[in-house]
Amino acid sequence: MAAKSSVHAEPAASPRKRAKLAPVPGLPHNKDDVAFDRLVYERVRLGIMSALAVRDELTFNELKALFEVSDGNLSAHARKLEEAKYLSCTKSFEARRPRTVYRLTALGKSALNRYLDHVEAVIKATRRG
Amino acid sequence: MLKLGKPSMQAAIPIDSRAATTLQYIRASMDAAASVAVPGSTGTGMGLVGLIATALTVSPALHPYWLSIWVGSAVVAAALGAILLARQSSQRGLRLIGTPIRKLLLCLLPSLFAGGVITGALWSAGNLHAIPGTWLLLYGCALISASVTTTRTIGVLGGAFTLLGVLALLLPDSLQIFMLGAGFGGLHLLFGFLIGRMGHGRQV
Repeated sequence: MAAKSSVHAEPAASPRKRAKLAPVPGLPHNKDDVAFDRLVYERVRLGIMSALAVRDELTFNELKALFEVSDGNLSAHARKLEEAKYLSCTKSFEARRPRTVYRLTALGKSALNRYLDHVEAVIKATRRG
Repeated sequence: MLKLGKPSMQAAIPIDSRAATTLQYIRASMDAAASVAVPGSTGTGMGLVGLIATALTVSPALHPYWLSIWVGSAVVAAALGAILLARQSSQRGLRLIGTPIRKLLLCLLPSLFAGGVITGALWSAGNLHAIPGTWLLLYGCALISASVTTTRTIGVLGGAFTLLGVLALLLPDSLQIFMLGAGFGGLHLLFGFLIGRMGHGRQV
């Protein structure tokens, strides 16, 4: 006995359902954006990027005072962002004391702007629905 | 026999709640990075200068020189405030240069400049009665503007100065020195204490 082949054609989605299922414009669609999203899932890193977006540069101590984290914690987060080339780090000496200055790179600025667009798009899309 | 109850209904979590809190965190980080942390010691120091000026000008011997004493006290208080702010920032490894301090000065200076000009005009016209109220009012306006780059607490302090200024303009001559003392002495001391307790008033 031949097996019944049951190929059911999917019913066509109604216009309302198609609108609900439509992709949200501005959501991350490339691997760089996804990588950035994973990186700033950690709040302190997102805070570092945001603070540097409004300041030309911030020192290690200024970032530490802003986010009230330990030296080791801040170093680790900053290094991750540096490795991803979102931050640049300059070390120098000022009156024999080490001074570390962080700046946002062009790549970091554009990644942060795209991330902000994504977040706003999610909020807009959810509230529209 | 098992008794099965109704499944508990949990409140639905809005799907955009994380996105909204993320945006709030970003905004808070940006505001904190762009603001100036005013230490409580600044208010305390300036308040003490105000009280000393009040004590000097209340005495009959020095009362005729009240305008010079208070102008001199304003210069001393401003310098002391700047030194304490710079020292506190240095102790915390912060630099007092760049965008935040520029914005703070831009917010403070117009009203203070206007106060100086109006003081000169009133003094030339012999209308010394209006000077204390004008100082309190315009200093209050300067602080309200400065709260944009500092904290809400500074804005509240500015509001209090503004109200005191309006009151001073309505009161007789005999109470003007006390109004100056209440404002530049009392309010500075009070808010210096409050800001010190809140930890520089920083709100992140």
